Amino acid sequence: MNIGTRKILDRSFTAVGIGSIVVMALALMIVVVPIVYNGIGAVFFTGTVEHRKMLHAEFKRGDSQNLDSEVASTDRYRAKVYDMLTGFEAELETMAPEKKTEYTAKYAQVQSALRALLGPLPGDPEPMLTRFKYGQTRWEKAEEKLHDLLYESKWDNSNSSVMSKEFFVSRAISFEGTSLARLFPYVKENLENMLHPEFTFYWGFITDSSVDSHFFGGIWPEIQGTFFLAIGAMLFAFPLGVVAAVYFTEYAKPGFLNSMLRSANSTLAGVPSIVFGMFGLAFFINTMKVSESKSVIAGALTLAIMILPTIIRAAEEAILAVPKTYREASLSLGSSKWNTIATVILPAALPGILTGGVISLGRAAGETAPIIFTAAVSVGSAIGLADVFSSPTPALSWNIYNLASEHEAAAQLRHVQYGMVLALVTIVLLLNLSAIVLRARISKKLKC
Amino acid sequence: MTGESEGERNRSNAFVVSARKRTLQKVAKTTGEGMLFSVAFFVAVVVLFIFYFVARDAIPFFQIRGFSEFFTSTNWYPADEPGEFGALAIIYGSLMVTLGSAMIAVPMGVAAAICLSDILPFSIRQYAKPVIEMLAAIPSVAFGFFALVVLAPLMQDHGGPLLMWAWWILVSPFLLLSVIVISDLLTANIKDEKRREKRHWMWLIVLGFFSIFLLFKVGAVLNGIQILTGTNALNVSIILSFMALPTIVSVSEDALQAVGRDIREGSYALGATRAETIIKTILPAASSGILAAVILGIMRALGETMVVWMASGNSSHIPEPWFNYLEAIRTLTATIAGDMGEADQVTGSARFHVLFAMGLLLLIISFISNLVSERIVVRQRKILSGQ
Repeated sequence: MNIGTRKILDRSFTAVGIGSIVVMALALMIVVVPIVYNGIGAVFFTGTVEHRKMLHAEFKRGDSQNLDSEVASTDRYRAKVYDMLTGFEAELETMAPEKKTEYTAKYAQVQSALRALLGPLPGDPEPMLTRFKYGQTRWEKAEEKLHDLLYESKWDNSNSSVMSKEFFVSRAISFEGTSLARLFPYVKENLENMLHPEFTFYWGFITDSSVDSHFFGGIWPEIQGTFFLAIGAMLFAFPLGVVAAVYFTEYAKPGFLNSMLRSANSTLAGVPSIVFGMFGLAFFINTMKVSESKSVIAGALTLAIMILPTIIRAAEEAILAVPKTYREASLSLGSSKWNTIATVILPAALPGILTGGVISLGRAAGETAPIIFTAAVSVGSAIGLADVFSSPTPALSWNIYNLASEHEAAAQLRHVQYGMVLALVTIVLLLNLSAIVLRARISKKLKC
Repeated sequence: MTGESEGERNRSNAFVVSARKRTLQKVAKTTGEGMLFSVAFFVAVVVLFIFYFVARDAIPFFQIRGFSEFFTSTNWYPADEPGEFGALAIIYGSLMVTLGSAMIAVPMGVAAAICLSDILPFSIRQYAKPVIEMLAAIPSVAFGFFALVVLAPLMQDHGGPLLMWAWWILVSPFLLLSVIVISDLLTANIKDEKRREKRHWMWLIVLGFFSIFLLFKVGAVLNGIQILTGTNALNVSIILSFMALPTIVSVSEDALQAVGRDIREGSYALGATRAETIIKTILPAASSGILAAVILGIMRALGETMVVWMASGNSSHIPEPWFNYLEAIRTLTATIAGDMGEADQVTGSARFHVLFAMGLLLLIISFISNLVSERIVVRQRKILSGQ
């Protein structure tokens, strides 16, 4: 090979390496950016008067006088819509029978579209579910619902060899010639007057509990459950892990037993997370009966076992990083081995041990599989501290799955799901970031 | 006065060690160490317990149904009466996504590790490492959500063009490079300078046209592909490879760092370029460590639950043809997570125990691969330290 080609090969080799790092950074960006962008939308959005009505009725928040005047002004515009509806109902009675059945079906669709947009129509019975008590609380959703009202969606099945395609038929045209045709342009023009969109900062998304399985309200029960589980796991795993690390670094003698223990540790680190969940179910709940069924304590114990090897490893590294001179100085002053460990080595290693602990805390908070069978429920309110021994809790990680894959209205609640994912990612990344910063400071300190 | 003398007496007493005190100290020391040991031993006990309790609920399944159906049949109808428990398609699905993610993550991860350990200056490395750690820290359910809500619709709506662009972007640099190298290799033996130059250009043009043809032909074929479902094996493989990457990068970087400076310097002294040094000397020396990294990364992909549960489509069949990554599949972990809630735990039905059989399978695979990777690392350390 001539020199030029070798140089090109060398350069391109470098390019491949740098390229793959860039791809990793891009992957991180591609995953994080939509989550952050859409997640922020759960807290900052253009809210309608329905949102403020909901807040006032469900959480007793907001100025009732302001709200009343706002509702009065929107009701003036809505009243015309409702008048048109009653007018059309009267017209419907006078129609020929076959025409009447045709329009009745179409009219029912219009009614349900209006209900989705503006809330229950006058004369409707009080809805059982909270989700039907209010119209659209978010402006961008209201615009979608407006489209549903203006256009009927139909599927084109004429060509059976390709997938059927969706197309839209204007309702204004299909109601041509009746008194209802006026309704569609009216709603389109006056939607803002009927809903009063306003920029909203809904901090309650973090602190409120959910109303009607996350249709309204916030995610506080999930956040609290996540903290309970993660901190509970730390309470068990951290002391055990640090003590085990002290044993491994200070007392263990090389030999069969020691290598076996180390193998056990790395085996534990490699066990798939779902198997921890099965073990938690089979051992903590079915055998030990720490609780009747799922409970926070069972989940925390399962998570504790999962993060134990990480903590042991981090603590071991931190202890080994303490300079030998510290130990020697302490021993030469006549202090015992145990005394040296407790008063010199552990304090010096503490920041490093804490770093490992913080990272493990993040892992415990983010993990889903171990808590599916042991601690998580999909719907529930925040639990008190006394209930951790008996009752399960909602948790961010599990509820993200549940809301995105199993909720009956998953596609409508994307903003809540994004908000939850953002909350979880923020918690975990903040923990990790603080660990990274902490570690950078330690390495500076140890170098001096 | 008295206080001082008392203090002095106490101090002097502290150095007098009576026999009783010595035994007490000894007892305290042994019990202390014993307690430390028992805590460390706790980890081993936990591992034994995990094996015991998973196996305890798995063995009844094999007693009821035997081994052959589980490993050879693809009929997975656990809810039927009587149920069918053929897990072959599910095991195959697990292997498929594991292999798929390894194919993406291993080359990228090893390249990134080489870059981190040998190519980038320290100042840039400082910023690259936290990126990798962040990627490792993102919870699996967030990745799963991304796969389900962002990537799956994207694949379903724009699958063909997406594949085509990926093909172009990924393959065109490699094709360009191989055209240059191959034309160089083909003309290397020609002595006459002018003739060689001419031949070189000729080959460059011929191969260049050929590769452009290949690029467009395959691109057009990929463009025509319509992905019927966005929740498929390819989607999951891509996301799992993101998750396996940090493990592969950090472990194989350690392995590369463990190869000493002297080997590198020796290679440079013989006139090798950096790429040649890395490929011909450092990679072989670090190969076993990199293998261990690959095993650990693959295990992460095999044991991952949430991503596959949310985004693999959960359909228990072997794709048609068998390498079709654009079909929905089902994996062991997702089956355990999804079916446990429906299985009756109390009466001990086969439906409940089959899930534990799957868990046991996962556990055994992870145990063996952990053991293997650990042996490999220990052996490499011994070789490199010259023993």
